Amino acid sequence: MAKQLGFYVNLANCTGCKACEIACKDRKDLPVGVRWRRVYEYGGGEWVQEDNMLVPHGLFHYFVSTACMHCEQPICMEVCPASAISKRDDGIVLIDPDRCIGCRYCSWACPYGAPQFNAEAGVMTKCDFCVELQEKGEKPACVAACPYRALEYGDIEELKADHGKLNNPAPMPDPSLTYPSIAYTPHKDTRTSQSGGGRVLNID
Amino acid sequence: MDIREWALLIFTTLGQISTGSLIVLMLVRAFVARNTGADQVNRLTDVPLYYVVPIMLLALIASLFHLGSPLHIARAVPNLGSSWVSREVITAVVYVIVAGIYTLMQWRKSGSEVARTVVGWIAALIGLFQTYAMARVYMIRTQPSWNTFATPITFITASLLLGVLLVAAILVATRSADDTEQTNLLRGTLRNIAVAAIVLVGIEFVVLPVYVVYLSTQGPAALESLSVMIGRLGGLLVLRLIFVFLGAGVLSFYLYKNASAEGKEKTLATVAYSAFILALVGEAMGRYIFYAARTHIGL
Repeated sequence: MAKQLGFYVNLANCTGCKACEIACKDRKDLPVGVRWRRVYEYGGGEWVQEDNMLVPHGLFHYFVSTACMHCEQPICMEVCPASAISKRDDGIVLIDPDRCIGCRYCSWACPYGAPQFNAEAGVMTKCDFCVELQEKGEKPACVAACPYRALEYGDIEELKADHGKLNNPAPMPDPSLTYPSIAYTPHKDTRTSQSGGGRVLNID
Repeated sequence: MDIREWALLIFTTLGQISTGSLIVLMLVRAFVARNTGADQVNRLTDVPLYYVVPIMLLALIASLFHLGSPLHIARAVPNLGSSWVSREVITAVVYVIVAGIYTLMQWRKSGSEVARTVVGWIAALIGLFQTYAMARVYMIRTQPSWNTFATPITFITASLLLGVLLVAAILVATRSADDTEQTNLLRGTLRNIAVAAIVLVGIEFVVLPVYVVYLSTQGPAALESLSVMIGRLGGLLVLRLIFVFLGAGVLSFYLYKNASAEGKEKTLATVAYSAFILALVGEAMGRYIFYAARTHIGL
């Protein structure tokens, strides 16, 4: 099988500081509203009144840092009418801005919110895995910025072999939709797409 | 819903009116030709035909407003192998060309009757496939409220319903009152159109509840769509059903009655125009709900 690059997120170590998101935003000079990398806070449970006290019942929360999954079966690439989206030999999925017509169909299709419309440019944009940095032997900006080393990247099969096969912590969707190139170490509270039971607390 | 989705609402609705009208016109021609000569058939159906291509052109212009880079629309076709958007765009263009050729042939009466009829039917079938392609665009596995059997059925019924009612309105508007044979052909055609409209409304009223029940079994994102449809947009949904029921159901009934009676030309006109307008508004509301209630699987 050809090489497939992917991200690895250690959910147990992520504190939701969003250094990865800011590093991405800064590196790629993204306009307001365009967030290639986002950190979702997922949580649930409730506070229940008992006598004169509010008592926590099943409270939990954790963070999931998410960008493009550079999927094995990229639905964005499948539906793009302009053939503007391609998958390289190393598995990185890229949008060619010279081909994109800005119809935003890929953003309807992608279950990870990866392709986002850049109104200034009139085209869709998304995480390009910092290919220009990788070509110089450097890490992607988000990976380099993580103070907890909770974010890594590499050959996805190696990452899965090292860290396990979890690929659908809630609020991530059913991985069989697109086969994302992602590996996670679970947080102690991690739910899966199936078990759920909480909601995204910080992003609409 | 932002401006870009409005562009799609106008594109899909107008596009469907165009393809539906052409299919209806070809059917009307086939029906009428059984009892009369080609001259009479042409006199009856030529004027509505002139509306078909301009409506699709308007639809295509509206679709440009959906794009971030409208000048690059020509780049929307390379992915015919897997993208229904490419297929939707290319079939719309081919449809405009073939329907345009047919309209020109009818206008200039060039070629034999048979040749023109063949070209007309080819254009109509391309149009039918165009509407189907339009529906398939929305059938993506991450959009459960769109990815159902109901999308192609409702697109094609909307297309035929608005098609029959537009053709009826134009026929009534351009009728030649002092020509007995034309008047009789018109009456017969309007009666068939009224029956077709009532059947199409019937289909819509059967598909909707089946769709709602089906959607309720399709997981959390589908349930959220459903709650928008019958919750926040519930009033609009009821209004949409009333408009379509009044326009295409009740008024079609009156269209049938008035088309059967002598000396009711004025009422006939009012009924035919109102039926089209009500159905158009009802279908546009339905399309608005279609876009506004979509709920994505995932983030």
